[in-house]
Amino acid sequence: MSWLANPTDEFADLTRAEQGVTLFVVGFALFLVFGLLTGGLNPSYFLFLLGLASMYALLSLGLNSQWGFTGLINFSVAAFFGIGAYGTALMSASSSPIAGGFNPMVGLIVALVVAAVIALAIGIPTLRLRADYLAIASLGLAEVVRLVVLNQQDWTNGSAGVRGIPSFFEGWPVLATFPQSMPETVIDLVPGGTITIAEPLFGFGFTFGQEIVLGTPFWRALLNVSLVFVFLGISYAVLRRVHRSPWGRVLRTIRADEDLARALGKNTYSFKMQSFVLGSLVMALAGVFYAHLNLYVSPGDLDPITTFYVWVAVILGGSGSNRGALFGGFVVVAIREGTRFLNQVTLSFDMGATEVVLSLAGFGGPMRLLLIGVIIVLLMRFRPEGLLPPQRELIWPGTVDDVPEGPDVGVREARGGADE
Amino acid sequence: MPLLDYLANGLIFSSIIVLGSIGLSLVYSIADFANFAHGDTMTIGAYTALLTFGAVGSLGGAVLGLPFGFFVALLAGIAVAALVAVVTEWIVYKPMDVGSIGMLITSIGIAFIYRAILQLRFGADFTRYDVGALRPIEWLVPYGIRITEHDVAIVLSAAILVTGLHLLLQHTDLGRKMRAMADNPELARVSGIRTDRVKLWTWVIGAGLAGAGGVFLGLYNQLSPRMGFSLLLLIFAAVILGGIGSVYGAMLGGFLIGMINQLMPILTDYGIPIGIEYAEAVVFVIMVVVLLVRPNGIAGEAT
Repeated sequence: MSWLANPTDEFADLTRAEQGVTLFVVGFALFLVFGLLTGGLNPSYFLFLLGLASMYALLSLGLNSQWGFTGLINFSVAAFFGIGAYGTALMSASSSPIAGGFNPMVGLIVALVVAAVIALAIGIPTLRLRADYLAIASLGLAEVVRLVVLNQQDWTNGSAGVRGIPSFFEGWPVLATFPQSMPETVIDLVPGGTITIAEPLFGFGFTFGQEIVLGTPFWRALLNVSLVFVFLGISYAVLRRVHRSPWGRVLRTIRADEDLARALGKNTYSFKMQSFVLGSLVMALAGVFYAHLNLYVSPGDLDPITTFYVWVAVILGGSGSNRGALFGGFVVVAIREGTRFLNQVTLSFDMGATEVVLSLAGFGGPMRLLLIGVIIVLLMRFRPEGLLPPQRELIWPGTVDDVPEGPDVGVREARGGADE
Repeated sequence: MPLLDYLANGLIFSSIIVLGSIGLSLVYSIADFANFAHGDTMTIGAYTALLTFGAVGSLGGAVLGLPFGFFVALLAGIAVAALVAVVTEWIVYKPMDVGSIGMLITSIGIAFIYRAILQLRFGADFTRYDVGALRPIEWLVPYGIRITEHDVAIVLSAAILVTGLHLLLQHTDLGRKMRAMADNPELARVSGIRTDRVKLWTWVIGAGLAGAGGVFLGLYNQLSPRMGFSLLLLIFAAVILGGIGSVYGAMLGGFLIGMINQLMPILTDYGIPIGIEYAEAVVFVIMVVVLLVRPNGIAGEAT
């Protein structure tokens, strides 16, 4: 059974929610392809969006391993994201007030080590607390981190932020100069012209076949996307593996019933700490990517709103579901970047004598906040388990029912093959 | 001697924190969740007062440098904050079937909705009430205290509200029921208390006090859609310090947190190099320490 061999059966095998999400994802992908073909969506910007979405997916994976699996209600996502971003920025940037100029790989390692140390420092006092106390305490400690970044000018440049961050592959053999060395490619889908489909009903048409130019920004974006895909792939594989291991089972037991886990002889505090540090490392990884994508970090990146974006992503996708976290990350970027367009929208209505011009500049920010708020409330009210609850992926293929009884098919193969 | 000045300012700031933390503590104990929308309820009160004050104007006379119209605006702020909270409880919280963590997350969504609506109407910038800034009270200046009549009005109004709540809790039927519910909701229900009605009144009182706190916060500083949310963590710290579920603990915690926050400059005066920009950080660290050492707060009972 695989999607390539038999897509209809595979689709029918999904739950209704999964079918809906699949259709939505396919539809959205087609919409993006349409945008690319008509020239409405710049390919470099598309890749930037893809990178951003993957970054949010990475953050969601991190939070998911804390909240979704262990039930730790961590409101300091933005702080760990910021630690990752500042960690690598301060090590590698030319304007760094402390070290600076190191290879971004050094920055990556330093960021992860610092994130682990701070995760321990936050975790030691707070992980013993009741769930809602942990929420308040972690939000408070995240604010402490933000205040330190904002006010310790001699370490972090304060509110001016850190500029001059090199791209991640600076100093690498081929990859450092890859965007510049690639030739400018022009894609002309319709040779020698364009096809315009005019839509008489709405009075505007679509033009296909404009030349799409792939220049240095495109190759740079491509490089960034491959980097975050590597980060995402590694994190996804590692988290998937560990969550299916006996260690992951203990975590889920802690989430379901901590007293039970303790009664079974597990040191729940230690397990919670491991889960907290692991999740924080993944968040810091997202921060490292962000610093080398944006090439500038400022204390604004530690704003608590990032934390809540990631929470929306995790709850939307389904707490405890890694696939859900990926999906949630993409939806959050759609909200974030979609509302950005509102600022540029100007509607003008021709009402006979007077022309009414409605500008939505300045509406993007509040609309984004409103949308996030409404999604949180509706989800918790009507579908608190999220869109893609982890009913399927928590089960090893070996425990599903349709294992053949007879020895004619090797049990091992039957079990091993049906991996989602 | 700037110490007196710090103390005076601490008292004013404490009044605002106390008004916020009582409501948070009441809702925490009776509705049984950490309400992250509480700070934005304060903001609603502040902006309602801004609108009302703009509409009714000065209305003749003045008390303590504040025109009568401002007190009308204060009442409007209290009423609208309470109304919004009750409507939210009806539409959102009451039909919900999730645990206290689910409620907590929902309240974050509610907070965003409140703030977004205010931002759509008023923009994200700072504004202030249209009351003239006052000079510090003359006869206090020689003592090094620089406070205005507005500040006195804040402290007095907060004192009146808190005293009113105390009388309500101790000497009325509703107050007794609320205390019973805060103590043990299950026992209260089986004793024949109509818990739904008490819960509704808790929202009214808690959000009303928050609205008043928001109005005063706008008078003390400025108004911005973020004002309440920025104060929320301090209020949580106050509630935790005092002991969740104890109204009097919340008063004490609010007083202490407000004081600590405003007394921070003393540390630098005495050579401890922690600047005022870290006032909030120090408060949060105190909060975490309290949680570790005495999770039930100063006034809470040990379990």
